Amino acid sequence: MSHALRTLATRVFSVQRSVSAQPLLRLVKIRGQQRSRSDGVKDSESQAFDVSLLEFLVCPLSKNPLRYDEKSNELINEELGIAYPIIDGIPNMIPQDARMIHKTEKPTES
Amino acid sequence: MAASIRALRFFFNSTPNIHHVSRCRIKHLCCRAGITGCRGYSDSTEGRSTHFGFQTVPEEEKAEKVYKVFESVAEKYDVMNDAMSLGIHRLWKDTLLHIMNPQPGLRLLDTAGGTGDISFRFLEYTHSMYDRQQRLRAKSRQTPSWQDITEHYVSDDAGPPQSRAVVCDINKEMLKVGKQKAETAGITTGLSWVAGDAEELPFDDDQFDIYTIAFGIRNVTHIEQALQEALRVLKPGGRFMCLEFSKVTNPLLARLYDAYSFQMIPVLGEVIAGDWKSYQYLVESIRKFPDQETFKEMIEDAGFLCVQYFNLTGGIVAIHSGFKL
Repeated sequence: MSHALRTLATRVFSVQRSVSAQPLLRLVKIRGQQRSRSDGVKDSESQAFDVSLLEFLVCPLSKNPLRYDEKSNELINEELGIAYPIIDGIPNMIPQDARMIHKTEKPTES
Repeated sequence: MAASIRALRFFFNSTPNIHHVSRCRIKHLCCRAGITGCRGYSDSTEGRSTHFGFQTVPEEEKAEKVYKVFESVAEKYDVMNDAMSLGIHRLWKDTLLHIMNPQPGLRLLDTAGGTGDISFRFLEYTHSMYDRQQRLRAKSRQTPSWQDITEHYVSDDAGPPQSRAVVCDINKEMLKVGKQKAETAGITTGLSWVAGDAEELPFDDDQFDIYTIAFGIRNVTHIEQALQEALRVLKPGGRFMCLEFSKVTNPLLARLYDAYSFQMIPVLGEVIAGDWKSYQYLVESIRKFPDQETFKEMIEDAGFLCVQYFNLTGGIVAIHSGFKL
């Protein structure tokens, strides 16, 4: 009788546990996915650069318009052959931090 | 004479624990007596030097030193502002916005914007101004004709004119802190962050309606160049506004202010931000900045018109304003 009660109880609880665990797991998975998705979105948003800035953003040295390169996440001035990095969605337009695209070793200085 | 003053200055700099009040008094004498002498001295040397607080450093070094100062204080910048000015800096910035009185749909360049205080206030101001204008418009439309109602619906489809604020600062740490602040406050549209040098702005000509630089221009190595760049990026009819520490007019207040600056502020800096030297630089750089009239002349020389200044808190802070016409 007690054994039956015990097994009943455990089975009920196990069923309950499994029943309650599954939605929890699902929730966690969804939340995890959402988090990863939102993180992904946030990351891509925080890394993605606001393209509307290109309306008035130019190279500080030559004042010529720039080209946004999505792959390397940089703003490229074709004329002078320099690339300004974008870190966390903030374009770094300081000439000393720019990178020369060509193979020459000369750093860009203002 | 200039050499002896430099020697004196070096001597005082190398012993930082000297009683601050006496040090600042002597330094004031040195500065006042030596300013013309030192300028002559520096012009005659090959590499030009400038001031970093009360020290004299080569120009190339100043930008780097200033960068390091703000890099180290970035996290605690807002807290320190509140502590040092007892919260009054908020009133100063609000006054700047009131004088600016921006209409919705304008584009602002907030140079040396750092943590974005001015830009946040700008966006808030324009949004509330737009709401107020809508409300007034609605009030005047209480008994409209059918013609008026259809016109109203058609025009409202356009939505509010989008005000835009661009925060530009040379220091990436300050921009990071500011961006986090924006994200927690939930301000996403209309605000952009750019790392750039005020002496070489990465913006096209005639782009901005308003250019502000709040508590930043005294850290720029070549102020004239920054003013030239401001003139370049402003649209014709655009306004230049500068909020900066200046010379106190009242002598009693000046003495109290000096005592507070040199005795309290570095201590606060050490206690709250763990950085005595940066705040020592801060109070010294305030003393080295030109006074209201001199700065007004500099702005006029750059090409701005209708230049005027407003003294706040007895001259501790001054707002200079000029137009590109």
